[in-house]
Amino acid sequence: MNCEVCQLKELDVEYFEIREVLRCILHTIFFHRALGLVRPKDVDLTLFEITYVQCGDAELEKKVDDKIDQFIDRVEKHPNKKNQICLSFFEVKNKQATWFTHKVEHLYWEQWYINLNVAHHPKPHSGKSHHSKLVLDPGESASDEGNARRATLESSLHEVLFQIIKFVNEKKDHIPPIPNMEGVSFPYEITISSSSDSAFGMDMFKRMLQTGHPTMLS
Amino acid sequence: MAVNPHSELAKMEQIITEFFAKSLHIILESRCPFVSSRNYNSERLYSPSSSTSSFSNMRPRDKWFNLALRDCPAALENIDFWRQSNLEPMVVDVVLVQRPVNWDSARSSPKVALERNLSSKDRFPVVWRSDSDEFGCDGYSEKIIERWIVRYDSKKGGKESSSGNKRPNSTSSHALYKKSILLLRSLYVTVRLLPAYKIFREINSSGQIRSFSLIHRVSSSVEPLTRRDGAEMQPFTFTPVDTSNGKLCVLLLYLPSISDTTSESSTPMSPQFIPDYVGSPLADPLKRLPSLPMPQHSPSSSPFGRRHSWSYDASHASPPSALPSPSPTYSESRTLHAKYGIHRPPISPRHPSLEPAQAHLKDTGYDEYWPSPNFSPSPSPSPPVGSNMLKVFLRSDSAPVHIPASRLGDAPSSSNKTFLPFSPPLRAIKPSLSLVERSSSIPTSAGKPLSLREEEIARMSGVKISSNSSPHKSYSRSFSRLSFEDSFDDSEFSGPFVVDDDDLMDPGSRPGSSDRSGNLGTPHERIKSQDAAVGALVQMLKKAPPLQQDLHRSQHACKTPRPENPFNQIQIHDHHPPLASSNMSSSRVSGIKTTSDALDELKVYMDVKLMLLRQSGKS
Repeated sequence: MNCEVCQLKELDVEYFEIREVLRCILHTIFFHRALGLVRPKDVDLTLFEITYVQCGDAELEKKVDDKIDQFIDRVEKHPNKKNQICLSFFEVKNKQATWFTHKVEHLYWEQWYINLNVAHHPKPHSGKSHHSKLVLDPGESASDEGNARRATLESSLHEVLFQIIKFVNEKKDHIPPIPNMEGVSFPYEITISSSSDSAFGMDMFKRMLQTGHPTMLS
Repeated sequence: MAVNPHSELAKMEQIITEFFAKSLHIILESRCPFVSSRNYNSERLYSPSSSTSSFSNMRPRDKWFNLALRDCPAALENIDFWRQSNLEPMVVDVVLVQRPVNWDSARSSPKVALERNLSSKDRFPVVWRSDSDEFGCDGYSEKIIERWIVRYDSKKGGKESSSGNKRPNSTSSHALYKKSILLLRSLYVTVRLLPAYKIFREINSSGQIRSFSLIHRVSSSVEPLTRRDGAEMQPFTFTPVDTSNGKLCVLLLYLPSISDTTSESSTPMSPQFIPDYVGSPLADPLKRLPSLPMPQHSPSSSPFGRRHSWSYDASHASPPSALPSPSPTYSESRTLHAKYGIHRPPISPRHPSLEPAQAHLKDTGYDEYWPSPNFSPSPSPSPPVGSNMLKVFLRSDSAPVHIPASRLGDAPSSSNKTFLPFSPPLRAIKPSLSLVERSSSIPTSAGKPLSLREEEIARMSGVKISSNSSPHKSYSRSFSRLSFEDSFDDSEFSGPFVVDDDDLMDPGSRPGSSDRSGNLGTPHERIKSQDAAVGALVQMLKKAPPLQQDLHRSQHACKTPRPENPFNQIQIHDHHPPLASSNMSSSRVSGIKTTSDALDELKVYMDVKLMLLRQSGKS
C-alpha cells in the first residue's frame, strides 16, 4: 500500500487568520477520512465566504484546536518563517519486540502537508511594532490592499479545498479497511514544523523511510 | 468461502439505489430553500449542542454511507422513481428564478404552468418540479445554475459474477460501498463550496422576500441546455466508482459566477433627477399665509408662496431641478437600508445571516437513526415548497413599503454582487407600491431550458424614471407636505419667507426666499431640506445685488454668532436674529463662502426687511 502525499498549496495568511484557515483545511481533510458514521456539521468561516464541514466529533474538534494553538505558539516563537502542518494517517503495525525499539510502528498511508506563510504580527500585549509587518497606516489604500489580500487568500483557500476534494476523489485505493465505525476511522497524527528547523526537510524524509514505500508526490 | 453472487449483486444494486437517494438528498438539502431552513430551525430549537442527543419526536436519520443527514422532504418526494429502477440517470437542475418586480396576479397563468408541466412530462418521462405554480407563470425568468447528473453506467454485456470465489466480486460490494462513502463525502463538501450555495443561504438567511429564488427539477433524462448556457457552465466531474458491472458517476455543470444574475440594491443608487419633486408647480397646492399679502402680478407668486428653497422664479435663473435630487436620494437610500436591513458584507456580501463577529455552528442536534442498510423511505407529508413561499410572501404584506421604485430598480452592472430589490408579494401586490417596472420577462416555454439573456437582464434591471414617477412622486409629495405644515407652525419664520415675492419687487430688500423647513419629522428629512434650502439660498445670494446702501441706513448693529454647524440652522427660529452690522453684511455679501455665512446673511436681510416694514408702517 502506497503512502499518498498531498502538498497543499501554500497560503499567505495573517496572524489572526491562522486559526480559521487551519480549522477549515484540517476539518475538511478529516471529514473525508472519517469514514465511520458521522453527523456532519456545517461551519461558516467568519473571515471568508466559505462553509466547511466538520465530522461532528467534539473530541476531534478539541484535538484540532489544541494543535492549532500549538502552531500559533510556534509561529510566535519563530516568526518570519514558513510553517507547515503535517496530518498523517497511519496503520498500526504489530509490535515487534526488538533490540532497538519497542515502539509501535506506524505505517503511514497518507500525508497531508499544509503550508502556511504567516505574516507575523505581534500580540497586542507585546506592543513591539518594529517586528511587525503589519501596515498600520490608515487610509483607503491600506484597506484596499487588505481587502485585496483577503480576497486572494479566500480564493486560494477555495483552491486548497478543491485540491483536497480532487485528491480524495482520485486516490482511493490506498485507503485501508475501515477499522472504526464511529467518527474518525483511522489513527492519525498532526506534526508541526517550520522552515527554520534543521529537520524541516528531514522529517519528511524520515517518514518516507519509515513507510518503506516509494512516495508519490502529488 | 463462496459468496452468493445473487446476494452480492443484490447488495450492489441496493448500494447503487441508495447512492442515488443519498446524492439527491445531499444536493437538495443545500439547494432547496425554506424546507431545509425549516428543518434546521426546528432542530436548532429543540436540540442541544450535543450531537448525540436524540428526541423521540424527530424522525430517524438515514445512516447509509455513514452519513447521517437530516430529513429532506424534497429528496424523499423525488426519489421513489429511482428506488424502483436505478438504471435511469438522475438529473437535478438547480434553477435560479427571478421574479419580475411588478408582478401582477392577472398576468399569471396557471394554465400555462400546467401546460408546461404536461409537455415537459411528455418529453421527459419523469419530471418533478418545485414551486411550479408560483414560478411557472409568465414573467418569471429562470436560469439553470447547476446541473447534477447521477448515473450508473452498466457495462454492456457486463460480466455478472458467476463465481463467488473471485475476490474482486466478493469484495466488490464492500469496495463499492467504501468508495461510495468517499464520493458522497466529497459531494457533501463540494455542494457547499459552489456559488449556488451562497444563493441558497441568502434565501434562507432571513424572512425577507426576494425577487429571486431557487427551484429544482429532478428528471430522468438530460434536458439539453442552450448553447449559451452550456458555454457559460463549467464541468466538475467526480471520479467514478468502478464496479464489476459498471461505473457510478456524478457529474456537475455549474455556473462559476452567479452574481451577475442576482443583484440587490445594497448600495445606494446614484442621485437622479426627480422632475416633480417638492417645489414644482405641479406639486400640491400652496398654502398661503393670511397675514401677508401675495403679489398678484408676479409670475413667481405661486412658487414663492411655498416655503421651500427650490422654488425659483425664472428671473433667478437658478435651475431648481438640480437641487432636490441629492436629498431625496439620501433619504430614500437610508430608508432602503432601514427597510431591508442591508448590511452586506462582502458580497460582497456573503451570507447576510452570518454575523461578522461569530461563526455559525449550524448542525447541533441529531436524533435516532435507522441502522443501515435497512432504509425504508417514508416521504414526509410536508407541504409543497411553493405554498410555503407564498405564505412568506403573504406574510410580508404587512410590512410597509417605503422604497420608491426608481431607486431599487437600478441594478448597476458594475456592482456584481448586489441583488435585485425586494419585489412585492405575489398575491397582494399594491400597484401603487410596485417598485420597479420591468418591460418584459422571458416567457417560459414548456420543457425548454430557460435562460436569462443579457438584454433581458438589462431591461429587467433598468429603471424607467418617467414611469416610476408616480409612486415616487407620491412619496416625495407627502413628505414635502409634511415639511411645509411643520414649518408653517413657526410664525416667526412664516412672514419673511412668504413675502419673498415682495422682496423680489424691491431690490433693496432681498432677504432671499430660501426655505428652512422648520420642524421636520425626522433628522434625515430635516437635513435634507436644510441642504436644499441652504443650497438654494446660496444660489440666490450669489445673484442678489449688494445691499451695502441699504445696510448703511440700518442703525442696528449686532454680531450674529456663527453657528457651529450649518445644519443647526433649524434652530434659528428659536431666537430672534439680530440685525447685522453693515460692515459685516457687506463683507458677507461680497463673498459667501460657507453655508453658515449664507444663513447669517439671510438673517441680516430679514432684519433689514423687518425694519423697512416698520418704517413704512410708521410712515
